Amino acid sequence: MNDNPASPRIDPARRRWLQALAAAPVVAGAASAPAPARAAIKTSAHIVIAGSGLGGIAVANRLAGLLDGAKITLVDRKEEHNYQPGYTLVATGVWPVEKVRDRNADFQPAGITWVKDMVAGFDPAANAVVTAGGQRIAYDFLVVATGVQLDFAQIEGMDVGAIGTHGLTSVYPSPQAAQATWAAMQAFTAKGGNAVMTLPATPLKCAGAPLKMSFMLRDRLLKAGTLGASKISFQSALGNVFGVKVVNDNVLERWQALGIDVEFSRKLAAIDIGARRATFVSPEGERQEMPYDFIHVVPPMRAPDAVKNSDLAWQAGPFAAGGWLEVDKSTLQHRRYPNVFGIGDINGTPRGKTAATVKKSAPLVAHNLAEVIAGRQANESFDGYTSCPLITREGSAMLIEFDYEGRLTPSLPMIEPLQDSFFAWLMKVRMLKPAYLAVLKGRV
Amino acid sequence: MYEIWLMLNIVWEIALGLWPLLLAAAVLWGILMLTAWRRAGTRWRAGLPLALGVGVLVMAVAAPLIPGWNRSTLADMGYWVDWANLLAVAAGFGAVAVAFAWPLSAMRQGLAQR
Repeated sequence: MNDNPASPRIDPARRRWLQALAAAPVVAGAASAPAPARAAIKTSAHIVIAGSGLGGIAVANRLAGLLDGAKITLVDRKEEHNYQPGYTLVATGVWPVEKVRDRNADFQPAGITWVKDMVAGFDPAANAVVTAGGQRIAYDFLVVATGVQLDFAQIEGMDVGAIGTHGLTSVYPSPQAAQATWAAMQAFTAKGGNAVMTLPATPLKCAGAPLKMSFMLRDRLLKAGTLGASKISFQSALGNVFGVKVVNDNVLERWQALGIDVEFSRKLAAIDIGARRATFVSPEGERQEMPYDFIHVVPPMRAPDAVKNSDLAWQAGPFAAGGWLEVDKSTLQHRRYPNVFGIGDINGTPRGKTAATVKKSAPLVAHNLAEVIAGRQANESFDGYTSCPLITREGSAMLIEFDYEGRLTPSLPMIEPLQDSFFAWLMKVRMLKPAYLAVLKGRV
Repeated sequence: MYEIWLMLNIVWEIALGLWPLLLAAAVLWGILMLTAWRRAGTRWRAGLPLALGVGVLVMAVAAPLIPGWNRSTLADMGYWVDWANLLAVAAGFGAVAVAFAWPLSAMRQGLAQR
């Protein structure tokens, strides 16, 4: 305590840091301890988790620590676990593809039942899910963690299998697509030419990825010495390129200085892969063809059919068209089925389809679900935290964090979100995958 | 508090990925320390300045190289947070160098005393 009125005052942020530093040795001693501090809740409830991405497995690990005696069933056919935040690094030649490929089995908690099938339908009125193989699985509580559906079918002529050929690229579908994107980017930057980057009008997972790809393509052209012979144009189906205004304005300012042209309200409607021609449509229905040497296609995104066609989806409002899960944005509990929770990209919430959102919301979902299992109310609230380490060139990035309202919310008081930064780059390439693994294992 | 817990977990996960290297380094360091400890005439205090000098030298050499190891450059240092992190990482390399140099330096001082 400092009772001397003449001594300098410590501002609250600095005081929090000093307190945290003072506690560091205690925390260090507990580094390998599991996070839950309270006694496990005894229950015989059956919890089904649909989806084994970051959200599904993180919640499974958390619940395994919070509950004693519960039966947890994870439903997902996928055996490979992909570190999706690393796709942009693979697609721009920073990482080898192996760094984004792991095995789901390595991260699941002991004692879990793994049904290797996809959920094909939800019957929340009967508390059951139905798999693609026809298995009906009853549950007491359900966690929906199915992720998004990449709706390439909305783009006439699009063929995901052709990514990497004819200048066609997309970072989103898979590690293989990211790798093929890098091969196509190398071929393009060797000669230069006309590059077209796209952005659909739907909610996106990792909404920063299209921007990162544009920044990095420009950087690769510069390093290859072919920037002068090239043109990059960004075609946004929206009236902006990023949902947070201050970030949007900053990026547009940067792109103007870097010579990246931007056009708004232009949705990619069709593509002729062999002829390298893209067709864009305006809100008025006017169609315009654009030739390209290189194109980055960002697919429209929506909820998977199993959610979209079920009673779990929003029935009205801005999230109904995409069929997103109808959860309360604070508790992430379903608004009509209180024994159902949502985690990750599937949630119909204002923002936050990123791994960073799962990092902050997985502990909350597990806690709130455990409270409901114990017969209490979901009592923790999520502020919509999400984060985007926005790469601006190889070696530099901006560490942007924000909440539901679009307010910038840096985790550390000294971080300047809109500052080009080596630290933010270092976080992206060295520290965020280890952080992701810790989230996956239910420790942070 | 959360950020400290997160950082500890990040360090833990990085260490898990490097464990063969870290184990080999720990064994080597243990052998060096044990050898120096059991050796008659080892002068720990006298060996410290040289070890610290080695640490500072390693830190000074590492600092400009670290950006390149991470596909970045010194030109990408945007503001003081970048420099502080660079120096912290370089200091980490320096600390490791001190840990290895100290027993060697202490034994060398002991030999010089004879």
